[in-house]
Amino acid sequence: MARSQPTDPPIDLLAAVQGEVSWFCCGTAWGPCSTTGKGACGTCNSGSLQHAWPNTSDACWAITHPDTCGFNLSRRTCGFQHKITGLCSGSSVVTAIADCGPQTDLFCGEKSCCGATCAGDRIIDLTPAAYSKIASLSTGLRPCEISTP
Amino acid sequence: MTSRRQMLKSALLGGGAGVVAATALGSLGPEAAFASAKAQEVEPGAPDPNFAEGRIRSIKDNTLLVLGSNMVFHNIRVVDGTSLWKLGPIPFDQAKPGDGLYARGVRMPDGVLAAEAVWLNIVNIKGHIKNITSDKLHLDHNGQEVLCHVVPGKSVAIHSESPPSSDLSMLRVSQHVQILGAWRPDTNEVDIATVFSPH
Repeated sequence: MARSQPTDPPIDLLAAVQGEVSWFCCGTAWGPCSTTGKGACGTCNSGSLQHAWPNTSDACWAITHPDTCGFNLSRRTCGFQHKITGLCSGSSVVTAIADCGPQTDLFCGEKSCCGATCAGDRIIDLTPAAYSKIASLSTGLRPCEISTP
Repeated sequence: MTSRRQMLKSALLGGGAGVVAATALGSLGPEAAFASAKAQEVEPGAPDPNFAEGRIRSIKDNTLLVLGSNMVFHNIRVVDGTSLWKLGPIPFDQAKPGDGLYARGVRMPDGVLAAEAVWLNIVNIKGHIKNITSDKLHLDHNGQEVLCHVVPGKSVAIHSESPPSSDLSMLRVSQHVQILGAWRPDTNEVDIATVFSPH
């Protein structure tokens, strides 16, 4: 059955939302990243302060389906800015949308913790430049809070 | 209080060998090193001058000459307080020409990046497991097969919020995972540091 975007008010319009943050490479790159490309917005680069968002378009939503995990994230398009705060480090970065992702539905129910601080489900991916401002790249996955700057 | 960044900067501007005493900086915990209350200086969406990526062309003394994938050269200075990662923490002499890297630090007036952290060959890829053997995972990453090696004593799996485990036997063919690891330069092979599994 085809799924459609729910019409309830998106939760991230009401308040900051917590979830998992990871990092991905894009743009010109080396290794397995070398074929990644510049992302859905055509501007994505690993060295820029950017992120992927699961609801940049109908086509994007059809791939990521955060609603499967209970997230009704609002439509936000290329260039929209989010503030991401690492719940482990407490540090923040403000980034702009440059790609569609992560594929939230494939990781439903997953939780990431540091000590007793946890957050569940993948709702944002940062470029290496952005992620490394709030955590070491070697952590790979962290709980975070997402808000508007 | 003097910040870690200020110390890096002043140490390099101070001349000499440009070497910062690690004891003066304290330990580099993965979270503590990235905790900063400083206001963001870079416009969201823009390239971050305090970050670099590329592949090492040569190494001279404590400086890595790196050719960025966008064909821009970077001089990255490694000091005693710099953390280096290649499947785990490593000493500087394990950085080799040909290694890919990401580096974060402080861009000096002369263009040198004084590195706080350098991640060598690090990759963080998602995909479906196509096959599993005793010491390898075959990962379908965006339609390309990446051969992921289990490294005894290094590779762990994290199943959701469970603690890291060296037992990778719960991973299953066809499931979706994220693999953090170290690329073997010029191959489609990766040594596994962490497999993140939602179940």
